[in-house]
Amino acid sequence: MKGNSRLRQILAPGLIIMFGLALAAGAQTYPNSTFQPHSELGRYIDFLWNRLLLLGTIVFVIVEGALVYVIFRYRRKGTETEKPPQTHGHALLEVTWTMIPAFILLFIAVPTVRIIFKTQAKVAAGALQIEVIGHQWWWEFRYPEYKITTANEIYLPVGRTVNFKLNSNDVIHSFWAPQLGGKRDVIANRTNYIWYTPDSSMKSAVWNGFCTEYCGTSHAKMRFRVFTVQPAEFASWVAGQQKPAQYGATVASLPGGQATPVSGGEPKTSGVGAEGGNAPAIARPNGTPTPGSDTIAARAPTTGAVLASLPAGYTFPRNLPEFEYAKPHTPVPGDLHFTPGLTGVAARGMQVYSTAACVGCHAIAGNPSSVGNIGPNLTHIGSRSTLGAGSFPNTPAYLALWIKNARKMKPGIIMPTLGLNEMDPVQKRIIDKASGGLDDQQIADIVAYLSSLK
Amino acid sequence: MSAPAAAHYTSTGLDSRKIAIWAFIGSECMLFVSLISTYLIYKGRSIVGPFPHEAWTSPSGQHFKPILNIPVTSASTFVLLMSSLAMVLALSAVQNKELPKRTTGDRILGSSKLWLWMTALLGTTFLGFQAFEFTSFVHEGLTIRTNLFGSSFFTLTGFHGAHVTAGVIWLLTLLAIDYRRGLGPKDALNVDIAALYWHFVDVVWIAIFTLVYLIK
Amino acid sequence: MATTALPTTGTLTAAPAYEGQSGIWSWLTTVDHKRIGVLYLFTALTFFLIGGLEAEIIRLQLQGPNGHVVSAELYNQLFTMHGTTMIFLAIMPLSAAFFNFLIPLQIGARDVAFPRLNAFSYWVYLFGGIFITLPILFNVAPNGGWFGYAPLSTRPFAPGLNIDFWVIGLQILGVSSLAAAFNFITTIINLRAPGMTLMRMPMFTWMSFVVQFLLVLAFPVITVALVFLLFDRFFGTQFYEIAAGADPLLWQHLFWIFGHPEVYILVLPAFGLVSEVLPTFSSKPLFGYPVMVYSGMLIGVLGFGVWAHHMFAVGMGPIGDSVFSLVTMLIAIPTGVKIFNWIATMAQGQLRFTTSMMFGIGLIALFTIGGISGVMHSSPPADLQQTDTYFIVAHFHYVLFGGSIMGIFAGIYLYFPKITGRMLDEGLGKIHFWVNFVGMNLTFFPMHFSGMLGMPRRIYTYDSGQGWDTFNMMSSIGAYILAVATMIFVYNFLKSRKHGAIAGANPWGAGTLEWTIPSPPPEYNFAVLPTVTSRYPLWEGDERDAESARINSQEGKTADELHIVLPYNTIKPMIVAGSMVIMFCGLIFAKPLIFIGAASMVVSLYSWLLSPLEPEHH
Repeated sequence: MKGNSRLRQILAPGLIIMFGLALAAGAQTYPNSTFQPHSELGRYIDFLWNRLLLLGTIVFVIVEGALVYVIFRYRRKGTETEKPPQTHGHALLEVTWTMIPAFILLFIAVPTVRIIFKTQAKVAAGALQIEVIGHQWWWEFRYPEYKITTANEIYLPVGRTVNFKLNSNDVIHSFWAPQLGGKRDVIANRTNYIWYTPDSSMKSAVWNGFCTEYCGTSHAKMRFRVFTVQPAEFASWVAGQQKPAQYGATVASLPGGQATPVSGGEPKTSGVGAEGGNAPAIARPNGTPTPGSDTIAARAPTTGAVLASLPAGYTFPRNLPEFEYAKPHTPVPGDLHFTPGLTGVAARGMQVYSTAACVGCHAIAGNPSSVGNIGPNLTHIGSRSTLGAGSFPNTPAYLALWIKNARKMKPGIIMPTLGLNEMDPVQKRIIDKASGGLDDQQIADIVAYLSSLK
Repeated sequence: MSAPAAAHYTSTGLDSRKIAIWAFIGSECMLFVSLISTYLIYKGRSIVGPFPHEAWTSPSGQHFKPILNIPVTSASTFVLLMSSLAMVLALSAVQNKELPKRTTGDRILGSSKLWLWMTALLGTTFLGFQAFEFTSFVHEGLTIRTNLFGSSFFTLTGFHGAHVTAGVIWLLTLLAIDYRRGLGPKDALNVDIAALYWHFVDVVWIAIFTLVYLIK
Repeated sequence: MATTALPTTGTLTAAPAYEGQSGIWSWLTTVDHKRIGVLYLFTALTFFLIGGLEAEIIRLQLQGPNGHVVSAELYNQLFTMHGTTMIFLAIMPLSAAFFNFLIPLQIGARDVAFPRLNAFSYWVYLFGGIFITLPILFNVAPNGGWFGYAPLSTRPFAPGLNIDFWVIGLQILGVSSLAAAFNFITTIINLRAPGMTLMRMPMFTWMSFVVQFLLVLAFPVITVALVFLLFDRFFGTQFYEIAAGADPLLWQHLFWIFGHPEVYILVLPAFGLVSEVLPTFSSKPLFGYPVMVYSGMLIGVLGFGVWAHHMFAVGMGPIGDSVFSLVTMLIAIPTGVKIFNWIATMAQGQLRFTTSMMFGIGLIALFTIGGISGVMHSSPPADLQQTDTYFIVAHFHYVLFGGSIMGIFAGIYLYFPKITGRMLDEGLGKIHFWVNFVGMNLTFFPMHFSGMLGMPRRIYTYDSGQGWDTFNMMSSIGAYILAVATMIFVYNFLKSRKHGAIAGANPWGAGTLEWTIPSPPPEYNFAVLPTVTSRYPLWEGDERDAESARINSQEGKTADELHIVLPYNTIKPMIVAGSMVIMFCGLIFAKPLIFIGAASMVVSLYSWLLSPLEPEHH
């Protein structure tokens, strides 16, 4: 018995210290930590958290300490000759330990109420308004001030208060970017708000965001990205996003993807753009996507006959090693393949896109046939960093697979299976020509078109 | 060492069934509080008509009157209130079964069958009113699927109607026993419990009538 | 009294003193609260294992990033069923097992007030549990989370059968809980032995009493919420229909008005059990008994005023947030008082570290952690970083595992001898405790960190590089250790049932009424209704307590010999329960079943009500 009690005594604090050390060891490795706030709301919460943690620890030490003391002190030794004192209570003691918690709670209650009213006050004038609309399972973001509609990623200028206006199109979701502030539910028939100001001292950075209210099959894959950028970068991004879609035509072909060796015996090829050819060539991003696989044509400058004359606006640079956490690493289903070496032609892709099922759900400003409003707005899809609400990197290779059979890549979604001869996992049938199946070349063309929409 | 070894010793001296029915009624209160609250919360939230107290013209130009018919429901409320009176008389008749009946009045007041029948019939009349109300609402274009008002109204009053129905069946069961072997003072508790339930259902209707029908 | 002429000797046996009560038929027809308690115990432990298995698969999936042990669809069913199973099919019925077995024994009653209704409650629970559990074998188990938020649970977003099983299953289980609650309220108010005043009742009975009121008042609310959902799904009503202008928060309010009292429904019985364990093994009465009673009542009352603290992220506005926050903090006070009084009960005692005692102390140690993290999210701004993350998962597992389950294990180790007449193996028990204690902390403590580091709950997979890998691996290893612990317990339980040491009437030297009678108790519990003069008749009672205890401890007498009238065994409650479940099945499978079930239910119900409970008295 003695050993057991001692074990317990060592165990509990030991565990805590262990976790504490693990935590301190790598602040960098916790990209979604709530402990490093980057907004005033975050710091208010952090202030409360620190107080709660401090008082909680004190209570923990007192209670567990008293418990351990009593366990050791009053163990039966077997030598007792009479019964222990049969006390039934002690009024003063009991009043005391009723009052002490009440007193401690005051130190929590007062700042809590103060901060509730401070953080839920009316937002300051001049705040950036962003309308957030939750969908199963992606995010629509609108900037009414700039008439921009985008999906699954937000650009915020540092130092300017942003006011999120939250609505759902279907079930309840919850909007949360842990490093920037708390979460708020996104509910149909009810408008919610949450506002905060990304620290002006911050350098440009990207943060992960999540849906935190269980919303159905792919709740886990309803993520988003927040880019907190310098005001000038934001202005440039806005300017780029405000333009209608432009695409560059393409030219060259590329036989086969350039193989990128990956350690650990993982499958390797990745789609690689032709440096000279400006076209996204596509290969399967086998298994775990390889770093660098999105250096492909999606980011290569486009040239050619129909090349738009306007430059794209600012987009956050990809592949900065310190933001590796914002790049999805979801493996692709093993049975999803794409013909290697195909070259897409954007002009042709636009034709295919505009006559296929795509336009029923997606809108592209500048493409008059594409005005659907069920799926994400694709006007500047080429500038976005992820596909499927943070599920995959937005590279031609992934985009091709996504168009071919999105339902295999993200369970339950509305986006239909489009690839010819692909199995639709929801309808449980093979997609044929009659039901609008697209062959790999057509998909490659669409990819070329979409990737060029910067 | 002098505990009574009686098989049915109780701490309060009350029969257990009486305590249980009060616990049951407490539970039922929460049921109806939830139903009524939902009705009130959804009041005025319906996107399309018909509405309880306001007229409504549909986008296609069809005109709907305010749907609640207060005079008719007042009558049915009165009927249900009277049924509670009959229930009181039925209970008293059962309790006093063994008292001598001297006058016709005594015999009428002392007839448990008469008052049980009366209660059941008044309850059934109330249900008839409700059936009439429901059908006329459906004819006027309000079903349980029409709007939030329809859903919450029919569910609330339907639940109440189901309780009245259960009460009527309970009364008919007591009547069957009465016809078979006669209800006497030893059955008073059974009738008492049924009466408690009946009065409760009645009180709930007063709340519904006030909150749903009278308050605009 | 004539009964004092009974023989004064008794032999130690572990054989049930039931005349002609064996075989399956006797279990199907029993109306004896002790046997129904045993049925509850076995059934609930089985569901506990099923719920645990579901948790193990969840932990397998989340062991590392991008896990693919199960599909998204199955994962969502697993976490929904894990919660639903543990709450409605394991912890509540485990508590019900103790209500059934213990309450009549603790208050000196022959049985509960309505023995047949009691059997009915059990059969409804069993059939409802099977109804809601089986679909997972066919990949159509409920998948809306244990709180089934509308509109996700409405037909447009959940077209399959999954939620149908959930809605109907919970309705069925609600009937069981309500029927049991009416029964126990009546039993406790009305069947206390002479001298067993309310303020002499054992603390377990007291906490159970509070729980029954919570059940009676909370279950109708979820019944209404479920009726709306059922009507929406089957009859086209629009309670949760967004297009009709419905407010999705209606469901949340109704659900949590039930859901928060439900938390106390789950944990107060465990508090009660620990309040029996600690005095027994400290050889001291419970410290501050009246305060323990009042704090339990206060927790119950306040429990109805805090539901919206589950909804701090829904945008209630600053006033709503503040009010619910402050009331929530208030609950910490009576809860804290309980913890301090337990420690004070042990202080100055002579502590015996039996397995039961270790689990009891484990509850104090672990529930404290759950209580502290609870206060952490009583502060709405702080909760905005915590709610719907693994921090919450950690919190409520410290409350429900560290609180309820630890308390229930303490109760099982304490009362197993009373129930079976045999002792559980203490050596295995202590191994069980330590493996369980380590596994529990290793599983749930890291979840505090994964949550505060941004991991949302209810995700079937997560990406690598999010800083969650290590903590999830720890949690998974902890979960596997818990599986080992549970296996040790199951082995001990099954082995000791047959081969444990003979217990005798009062193996622990406890002080309350249930220990005055043989183990296992005879069918009639008490040969004479005891006279109670104190809270601990065996410790503090006067000669009247001693005399009842002497008579009641005698073994071997049958009810007939003592002229005790016992209720008839009857199959009717089970048939009514079965008919009701068939009726509900009709909604899903074939409409005619509704009428067949209803007809069969009415007939069997009348047959039950019109048949006598017990033989006429002589």
